[in-house]
Amino acid sequence: MNPREEKVKIITEEFIENDEDANVGKRKKNSKVQRQPRKKQPPTTGPDKMVSEESHLGNQQEPAQDKPQTRLLSVTARRGPRSLPPIPSASRIGFAEFSMRERMREKLQAARSKAESALLQEIPTPRPRRLRSPSVKELETEFGTESGKEVGSTQQEDDSQSYSRVKFHVSARKIKSKPQVPPGFPSAEEAYNFFTFTFDPEPEEAEEKPKHQDGTNQEEEEGEEEPPAQEGANRMDEEELPHGKDAENFLLGLDHTANEFLAVRPADYESVHVRLQREKEMLFIPSRLTVPTYKKLPENVQPRFLEDEGLYIGERPEVARTNQNIMENRLLTQEPGRRWFGDDGRILALPNPIKPFPSRPPVLTQEQSIKTELETLYKKAVKYVHRSQHMIGSGDPSGNFQLDIDISGLIFTHHPCFSREHVLAAKLAQLYDQYLARHQRNKAKFLTDKLQALRNAVQTGLNPEKPHQSLDMIQKTINEYKSEIRQTRKLRDAEQERDRTLLKTIIKVWKEMKSLREFQRFTNTPLKLVLRKEKVDQKADEEAYEAEIQAEISELLEEHTEEYEQKMEEYRTSYQQWKAWKKAQVCKHRPDQAGSGRAEEHPEEETEEPYPEEDPVKPTPPEPTDQAAIEQQVRERAAQSRRRPGEPTLLPELSLAGSVTPNDQCPRAEVWRREDVKRRSVYLKVLFNNKEVSRTVSRQLGTDFRVHFGQIFNLQIFNWPESLTLQVYETVGHSSPTLLAEVFLPIPETTVVTGRAPIEEVEFSSNQHVTLDHEGVGSGVPFSFEADGSNQLILMTSGKVSHSVAWAVGENGIPLIPPLSQQNIGFRSALKRADAISSIGTSGVTDMKKLAKWAAESKLDPNDPNNGPLMQLISVATSGESYVPDFFRLEQLQQEFNFVSDEELNRSKRFRLLHLRSQQVPEFRNYKQIPIYDREIMEKVFQDYEKRLRDRNVIETKDHIDTHRAVVAKYLQQVRESVINRFLIAKHHFLLADLVVEEEVPNISILGLNLFKLAEQKRPLRPRRKGRKKVTAQNLSDGDIKLLVNIIRAYDLPVRKPTASKFQQPSRSSRTFREKHAASPDTRSPTHSADYPLGQVLVRPFVEVSFQRTICHTTTAEGPNPSWNEELELPFRAPNGDYSTASLQSVKDVVFINIFDEVLYDVLEDDRERGNGIHTRIERHWLGCVKIPFSTIYFQARIDGTFKIDIPPVLLGYSKEQNMIIERDFDSVRSLSEGSYITLFITIEPQLVPGESVREKVTVRRHHINFWPGAVSMYVFFSFRQQFLDLLAGDEEEHAVLLCNYFLFLGKKAWLVIGNAIPEGPTAYVLTWEKSHYFIWNPCSGHFYGQFDTFCPLKNVGCLIGPDNIWFNIQQYDSPLRINFDVTKPKLWKSFFSRSLPYPGLSSIQPEELIYQNTDKVAAAELQDSRIEKILKEKIMDWRPRHLTRWNRYCTSTLRHFLPLLESSQGEDVEDEHRAELLKQLGDYRFSGFPLHMPYSELKPLIDAVYSTGVHNIDVPNVEFALAVYIHPYPKNVLSVWIYVASLIRNR
Amino acid sequence: MAAGGPSVFLLMVNGQVESAQFPEFDNLYCKYCFVYGQDWAPTAGLEEGISQITSKSRDACHALVWNFPIDITFKSTNPFGWPQIVLSVYGPDVFGNDVVRGYGAVHVPFSPGRHKRTIPMFVPESTSKLQKFTSWFMGRRPEYTDPKVVAQGEGREAQPS
Repeated sequence: MNPREEKVKIITEEFIENDEDANVGKRKKNSKVQRQPRKKQPPTTGPDKMVSEESHLGNQQEPAQDKPQTRLLSVTARRGPRSLPPIPSASRIGFAEFSMRERMREKLQAARSKAESALLQEIPTPRPRRLRSPSVKELETEFGTESGKEVGSTQQEDDSQSYSRVKFHVSARKIKSKPQVPPGFPSAEEAYNFFTFTFDPEPEEAEEKPKHQDGTNQEEEEGEEEPPAQEGANRMDEEELPHGKDAENFLLGLDHTANEFLAVRPADYESVHVRLQREKEMLFIPSRLTVPTYKKLPENVQPRFLEDEGLYIGERPEVARTNQNIMENRLLTQEPGRRWFGDDGRILALPNPIKPFPSRPPVLTQEQSIKTELETLYKKAVKYVHRSQHMIGSGDPSGNFQLDIDISGLIFTHHPCFSREHVLAAKLAQLYDQYLARHQRNKAKFLTDKLQALRNAVQTGLNPEKPHQSLDMIQKTINEYKSEIRQTRKLRDAEQERDRTLLKTIIKVWKEMKSLREFQRFTNTPLKLVLRKEKVDQKADEEAYEAEIQAEISELLEEHTEEYEQKMEEYRTSYQQWKAWKKAQVCKHRPDQAGSGRAEEHPEEETEEPYPEEDPVKPTPPEPTDQAAIEQQVRERAAQSRRRPGEPTLLPELSLAGSVTPNDQCPRAEVWRREDVKRRSVYLKVLFNNKEVSRTVSRQLGTDFRVHFGQIFNLQIFNWPESLTLQVYETVGHSSPTLLAEVFLPIPETTVVTGRAPIEEVEFSSNQHVTLDHEGVGSGVPFSFEADGSNQLILMTSGKVSHSVAWAVGENGIPLIPPLSQQNIGFRSALKRADAISSIGTSGVTDMKKLAKWAAESKLDPNDPNNGPLMQLISVATSGESYVPDFFRLEQLQQEFNFVSDEELNRSKRFRLLHLRSQQVPEFRNYKQIPIYDREIMEKVFQDYEKRLRDRNVIETKDHIDTHRAVVAKYLQQVRESVINRFLIAKHHFLLADLVVEEEVPNISILGLNLFKLAEQKRPLRPRRKGRKKVTAQNLSDGDIKLLVNIIRAYDLPVRKPTASKFQQPSRSSRTFREKHAASPDTRSPTHSADYPLGQVLVRPFVEVSFQRTICHTTTAEGPNPSWNEELELPFRAPNGDYSTASLQSVKDVVFINIFDEVLYDVLEDDRERGNGIHTRIERHWLGCVKIPFSTIYFQARIDGTFKIDIPPVLLGYSKEQNMIIERDFDSVRSLSEGSYITLFITIEPQLVPGESVREKVTVRRHHINFWPGAVSMYVFFSFRQQFLDLLAGDEEEHAVLLCNYFLFLGKKAWLVIGNAIPEGPTAYVLTWEKSHYFIWNPCSGHFYGQFDTFCPLKNVGCLIGPDNIWFNIQQYDSPLRINFDVTKPKLWKSFFSRSLPYPGLSSIQPEELIYQNTDKVAAAELQDSRIEKILKEKIMDWRPRHLTRWNRYCTSTLRHFLPLLESSQGEDVEDEHRAELLKQLGDYRFSGFPLHMPYSELKPLIDAVYSTGVHNIDVPNVEFALAVYIHPYPKNVLSVWIYVASLIRNR
Repeated sequence: MAAGGPSVFLLMVNGQVESAQFPEFDNLYCKYCFVYGQDWAPTAGLEEGISQITSKSRDACHALVWNFPIDITFKSTNPFGWPQIVLSVYGPDVFGNDVVRGYGAVHVPFSPGRHKRTIPMFVPESTSKLQKFTSWFMGRRPEYTDPKVVAQGEGREAQPS
């Protein structure tokens, strides 16, 4: 570099800097400038000197000037490994990535700064520039450039904004470069001299000084600021010196004496250099130079740049480079541990905590008064409109909009199941479609016409018919026309050629297809191509063709001539040039021909030197156009692209007329393919805003690979649609559907409404790879049409969905489209880059692609943890590899709360118990206090339940003797369960009345009554019975409910008969009851007999009520017509403690009311002791029982009446005795119905509200469907007779209907009576007319009563049903005693079918005849012997745990023989024979026993019945038992069971 | 846990029904009872109680002070069905009929310590104006079949009508 130049440069720099000083306001400089005037020293050196100094300096600076460059180089070199991945293994991609990232970062930075500036600009108050700028500038001047800038490349140095900056930058460089000064630099000595001699008043001198000082201490560097300051201070001292001397002189002059005492020495002067040396020993001033990286890192460690390795490194806070260097140097010296340095050799630093934009309101400037800032402005209130794009605000008139999506069908253009032929067919169809489309547009024709028109225009233009136009204009237009003609012709040719090739391709494909069909010998597709030839007029065609060619030729010729001329022109000019050049060449060779003008031409010449061959060649003249060649060309082209003249036009027509070869003629592989196609079905899911809203039905794939859906989905939408997607799913067989492809539907314009939307086709394709083992070509796998496998094709599954999407039109014709306001994307602020939501809208967040795009655009740092989730989301969404759930998860945090795995939870017994309880499984429904720990739960808790589950379908034959009954029982059990479940559901449906007790809506009568009540006496004389308060069952618990049984009296109990023993038999009443009793042997009076043990009366009956195994009994009364009048209280326990209505209704327990005779026996062995004590044994003999089911009591609330006691037909030792004392009027009445009776009153305390079975229309009372509702429906249940018989179970109505039908079949007059009975409640009886008497039959028990029988359980009659009519009782009374059953009297009976409503002749839907199968007798016998008898015997032994139970076999066999007799005679007239026989055989036994007769349904009632007799209760030591069972089978599996139980005591 | 019997946890409730604010009524008494789940059983103390009739205090706050003690111990195996105390307040109307003045329920506090609970009280309304009048006139206001329903959710869900 030229030293002079450099000097000049520096001076100018300095000068400018001086100028700038004022406005730069550099604090240090300012201070200096202020200080300088004080020196008031004239410049000792002239400008020359200064210049020389400068030159000197310049000399020094020259290497320095070079240095920065080298340094820069070194910087870049140092940065080299930084910009390149440090690890050599890093691939090229890594580098590309890196550089990309680098670029991105730069851009981001730029964008940020831009945003910042935008922000700044937005701030209304102007920033305090005056205040801010100094600091900024200061920063720049102090440290040269900002460290960030320095890091940047040299490019940044070039675009210096202010000159001064460059200057300081340079100066900074100079300073830094000092230490590396080469040894030829002026020595310290020289520099010192130089310094001490020259005191420069110029400010730049001050600048310069430190440099030289720096130069002196070459090893250690000094801060830039301190040296000048110190220097300044030193200088000050020196400057002050003369003044000090003056003062001294002055002082000396005043007082000399003082001088003598004072030793005057010159002030110690310590040179700066020395002092600095000394200071250097004491002070440590860290260097500002960059510390080489190797110093900061451990030995042999390459710097590692985490950022390059992809790890995130936060943005470091900006610290000036020099400061950083100082710090580094200091750290290196002070703490050599290097722990302050990171792997990359930089000081460890936390990320920059400073936000890129201010979050504080701008500070008010002082110019603007605070008042103005605080001044409030009035703004008109604006109604807030919910701007959310996502939801429709409340301001909208109607919230729901509708989008109609019509999915009409789906066509596969390729499918894995395509056969080769299908592939061709698809291709053909596609080509044909293309052809049709082209044909319709007919562009070739259009272009031809256009060409024609243009030619005409040219022709007319050429004709000089319009003289008024200027020639130029005409020429111009003609030229334009011509160029257009040229273009049009080219276009037309291209179009025609395309048409032709298309046609050719179609034909080629068709031929291929045909050959394929021939080859494979079957046809798969009905496609058929017909080429229709259209005859053309040969001559006209030829003419037209020729004309066309001629026209073209002429045009081309014209063109060519034009071109030729143009070329000629060019040739001429170039030739001229060449000539000139030639000349020049000649001139060049002559020397010294240089002229001023020539010199300028030189460079041109020189530049063209490298290409000497081009121009200098003599240009060849263009060849003239050859007409023949052109013609040839044109004709060739025409032949290629155009139809030959006279050739018929070929019109391809594709039809589906062909026939497909049927399956049986196809090869195996093809059949498989077709079957596979058949197995496939396709459906579409409609996704709205990426959420599935509906799906089409699954349709089978047709053989033509078309699926027709034809479904219209009306989407009631609430959100503005962001995306509409169809997903094509394919199901193969029963496997799970696979997603084939997604089809994105465009959201319709707001103008597209239903009805106007066209059906559009959207193509889709799938990237699935399918290889099939049949004829199907598969998808994504190569296949070939050629035999040798060449020319492979790879086709992917693809197809088209035809659909239309439109907005629905509301009822009033308004399209249901969300308002446009919803669609606008909302505001965009300067922050939008930073804020994803405001930038792309909320919808964008759900649209991954948009989001990814945004992220790419805004250059998010992917390594920033703040962006972590976003980046992950985007990467997941864009990579498409990982599964992105497109559903909304309601409990996305559920995972967090799963404290144990599901298996573990299921294994927990406690959880299982809780679960079962909450499911209301019967066994656990009322389980109380589920234990806390699993270990406390016994396995057996679940045993019953598990057993039940296991047995649900297994028919248990243990309890049920024959399988049929077991099946029936199972069925009933299931019915019961379902009914109970229904009740459980119903239990939760409370009505208001269930919860709130409220007075009924008052009507006038109630009101009046109540008003009247107000006036009535508080304590009336005749109190009236008040209804008890009913209690809803739900709040009850054990012990709350009691069963009250009031036993009032009994009639006509059997009385004892003395057994044939050596004891004297008790006398009997002289009066016998009917004829059969007349035969009874000795009767004796009911008076006390001394012979009888303890002189008892005839009978001492007491009543024992047993319910739920709780037993209560009355006191013992005497006589056959006892009166107890006792109230017994039995507790009631609901099953499982469940007191709900449903549960109560299902209680199957029965109240057994057993009447026993208490017999006292004197057990005293010795008569002598009789005086001292009484030793009696009490025996009780069962007389009979009454059974009342609890459900009856529950439904009836109370049972009050006289009931017939069920007395066994044979009661050994007893006979019916008519008490003489009781001579009542009703004896005559009673004569019809013999038997004993008991008067009872039973109720439940507190009164329970019977279940609302009506609400559910189902009762469980008889575990059957109740057909009660109306008389008309009675006809309905005739139809259930068969089922009733099959099931062997039914309620009274069914029994009654069956019985009635029997009577009718027997030719009797019979009616069905609907009424109320005790204890059944609403029920059905049968009425028959026989011999001037009406009989009322109880269909269940088979008992019959005369009309006037007081003890008839039927208490009132509602209606009668005959075979052809129904009559309703309209008489005053409804008691059967008092009504007339003559239905012919219309005054008494209202008939349902009358003249106005004749009997329509309803046909019965039941079978005409009931088939009765004979019961398997063997099975019955087996049942009798091995099962029932055995079980009962075992039971009796079980009931007597403390005693020995002996069985008297002899007696048993006798009894067994006797039972069939009983069955045949129905218990009539056998007693005496029986007794006689027994007496004969068991003469010395005291015998008590009786047969029980029951229908057979289950075993349990039999056991209960035996138990209730209390036979087993005898604990006489030598008692023996006898038990015999007989089953008489009736057809249809109806079994009649006889059980004979007896106890025998051997008489002494 | 000893071998004898399953382990349970006990919940002892001590407290009192202190006072009530019924600005319109006077001379009220209250009943309390407990509603608890299947896994709960009272082991000691009174499950139900009926308080004395109290009059309004003369001071400004007009509180009806009962200071009626509650003392009950439950044992349980399951926090599900935590006991609730159900309070119902009765008092005479203008004609001297005893009518219900309020029902309310609150769970027994879950954490040990002293707690104070204020229970808002309510009564069922008549279904119609006319019934309201007659019930007022007859002194037979609508009341719950069982006060415990206020602590139960059954049947109180919104029903699809």
